[in-house]
Amino acid sequence: MYGRRASQLLKEVDSCEAGQLVPFNSDVFDQVIRECNEHNTQFQSLIRKMVEQNLDIETTRNDDHYGAAVHHLSLLRNKRCLMAYMYNRAEVIQSFRWKIGPVLPHEIQEKLHFSEKEYFKNHSAAIKSYMSEMDIDLTVDMVPPKDPYIQVRVLEDIGEVSLGDHSISLTKNSLHFLRRTDTEQFISQFWISDMELVRKHNQADSKQEW
Amino acid sequence: MPGYYDIDDILMEEEPISVVFQVSANGVGLLDPGAERNSVEKGAKVDLPFWLAHGLLSLEQAVSINVPPCFTQKTRKEIQADAACVDLRIRCPYFYELGCKIVPLVNDRSIGLFLRYAFTSRYKEILSKSHSSSMMTVPKFVPRLTKEEAQVFESARDSMTAFKKWRAGGVRLQKASILGRKRKTKLPDGPSAP
Repeated sequence: MYGRRASQLLKEVDSCEAGQLVPFNSDVFDQVIRECNEHNTQFQSLIRKMVEQNLDIETTRNDDHYGAAVHHLSLLRNKRCLMAYMYNRAEVIQSFRWKIGPVLPHEIQEKLHFSEKEYFKNHSAAIKSYMSEMDIDLTVDMVPPKDPYIQVRVLEDIGEVSLGDHSISLTKNSLHFLRRTDTEQFISQFWISDMELVRKHNQADSKQEW
Repeated sequence: MPGYYDIDDILMEEEPISVVFQVSANGVGLLDPGAERNSVEKGAKVDLPFWLAHGLLSLEQAVSINVPPCFTQKTRKEIQADAACVDLRIRCPYFYELGCKIVPLVNDRSIGLFLRYAFTSRYKEILSKSHSSSMMTVPKFVPRLTKEEAQVFESARDSMTAFKKWRAGGVRLQKASILGRKRKTKLPDGPSAP
């Protein structure tokens, strides 16, 4: 049936959790584009047939006209599906910039189409230039902090990091008391963890054991 | 009005509708599995996805639409008997949305009333179950819900969770956070505490 493949693409998007991404399905995507081209050729040939019979293509309502209408509608439908596929993925990709940061981990990179990687890069660049113009980092403190300082545990060796006016060595499993704004980018990339969160987590575990 | 990029709206329009062609059309033999030539004859009865049926009807008056089986008398009787027990998802996961779009296309004004009756009588059940069922398990009746109803169920459950969290003492209130600290000191007492 016409348009079936295109709707399969969207079912894929629909079936995954909100805010998550499935790998870009370039196979089906290309198939749908080929289907579109096929509709276009069929449409053109039906219209040409009418022109050859010296019929007015705007007012004539014959068999060829209705066939052409079906192909036209199918073309529009496929276009809508493809557009919605790209648009909804682009929305998720934009949200990555705020949730994860300017560098995407490898497993997400793998799921993106080449054009989507470009889109993410350009989107990050736009945000970055806006933030430097305004001289404010919009990506920190997405949740209003209770305390400007935070105790953190380092999960992976990061090495020497300069934070504001002093530098600090972040070695694995060490504990630090740092300014919250300095740590946010590391927390979102799972390099260090917020001790408060860890404590809450442990509490929840111990409650379950009882 | 759903947007152009709305995935649910697009998937809803994929639902098959049985139509009768009022004209014949060349070059689209794929639509009719029984066609001998590459065309659809006048009077042929075929299943088309809603978007195509709708397009052909509103632009060209080329087809006439039969009411889908999920809005026929049989389903109506079942809904009247016990609305909450009917498996609407298997009939059509976009039952209400499709119903709303079908009404202007067919000569049957009673569909609107029927949809309303179905929704209101099932809504009561959804709401009470979403408030009483446990958070961890998915109740048995959830697979019977349409997509829209499942969303209602989820949001009712989320709001109930949020309410319980608030009542237990939100961290934003100062007094509550003090209470929380007291509770923490009690923790080592063992199983009797919670």
